[in-house]
Amino acid sequence: MTPARLTPLSQHTIGPFFPASFFREGDNDLTRVSADARPTALGERIVIGGRLSKLNGEPVVNGIIELWQADSAGRFRHPEDPAWREADPDFLGWGRAWTDADGRYSFHTIIPGGYAEGNQRRAPHANVLIMGAGLMRPVHTTLFFPEFAQANAIDPVLTLLPPVLRPRLVAFDEGRTNGVRAFRFDIRLRGNREEETPFFEV
Amino acid sequence: MSESRLPRRFDPWPAGVQPQVPIEGYPSTWDFTPAQSLFPRPATRTELTGPLDLWRKLPCGESNLAVVSPGRIALGQLIHIEGRILDEDGRPMCGAVVELWQANAAGRYLHALDQRAAPLDPDFIGNGRVRTDDEGRYAFFTIKPGAYPVPVEDTWWRPPHVHFSVLGSSTLSRLVTQMYFPGDPLNDWDRILNSVPDPAARARLIARHLPPAQVGDGWLGFRHDIVLRGRNATPETP
Repeated sequence: MTPARLTPLSQHTIGPFFPASFFREGDNDLTRVSADARPTALGERIVIGGRLSKLNGEPVVNGIIELWQADSAGRFRHPEDPAWREADPDFLGWGRAWTDADGRYSFHTIIPGGYAEGNQRRAPHANVLIMGAGLMRPVHTTLFFPEFAQANAIDPVLTLLPPVLRPRLVAFDEGRTNGVRAFRFDIRLRGNREEETPFFEV
Repeated sequence: MSESRLPRRFDPWPAGVQPQVPIEGYPSTWDFTPAQSLFPRPATRTELTGPLDLWRKLPCGESNLAVVSPGRIALGQLIHIEGRILDEDGRPMCGAVVELWQANAAGRYLHALDQRAAPLDPDFIGNGRVRTDDEGRYAFFTIKPGAYPVPVEDTWWRPPHVHFSVLGSSTLSRLVTQMYFPGDPLNDWDRILNSVPDPAARARLIARHLPPAQVGDGWLGFRHDIVLRGRNATPETP
């Protein structure tokens, strides 16, 4: 039997009133599968933070950012990954943060592993999904790390961009805070070509 | 080859389904929406995957928004909303996380940013989160939200609506949308609903009445199935 073909529902904005009570401490921690779980022991713990802004660089308040990435060995705990059964069971790989009055957000995670996909090699990266009042559709981008310059240079997603824009998707290494490396990744939703973060159509 | 080995497919959005922006009278759509062209990206493993057990991270179970504590019932028309989370092939998405939030019966949100001079209801918070069952079903008990004006110079009214955020099994199936009520005259004038060009796509955002025989006499029933993007997108995890 051929299943009926259904049409996905239209996307809408989250609006200005996404409930604050949906956010709990630890939601922005990708290293724990639940609030009371211990964090994964694998991979280098890092912090990723930055500022989400809109037209004229004004902060996006109460914006939502969702991060999704592979574990320290480059595996996803999802059957789409051929090695999903070997994925780190203590690593969730997903987190959600919301932006404060200055548009700032932060995540606790680990440096993801790179991996082979088809005949191509993915550089370590995290997918970034952004929602906010006035954004009728979420926007998608990808975060890369500066220490993997060689892998970044051949990553099949990063190289979709013209070379001049590629550095915009590479986070800045801001050194260590309390022994943990911190990366900065600012996101500009709307601006001119020099200002706006490159986003992907998906 | 078992069904689970069929390739997952995420076709482009059908014409007329996605809202068109910016929206006249909704200034934020001008300030937030990217001005530059988006870069087409093929679906890679990162987009095709997502957390399968997110209900551990985001605790579920607050399905009755109308009764926040025993004996204290929110003001308004008591309603029941139920439906299924499906992919484009009609396969149920079990274990999906469904978040719902809404205004109270007076059209006001319990939110610091909503300072409109409409009453708050001490017995209504207005948000809940549930996990779909093995057949992809979700259900909420709540009250029918009120309409409210959009605070712009050339004001317009949002019809009663309920916000849904659905976290399925992949980045590409992530959906945030709104559900509207059948027969409300404000639906025809809502600039957000009408930013969706295709009338059939708009109609799919409007819930259907559920016969009283199926829900009883305590609650006015509505049915609203939510189709997420993706074909064969519901992973089987033996």
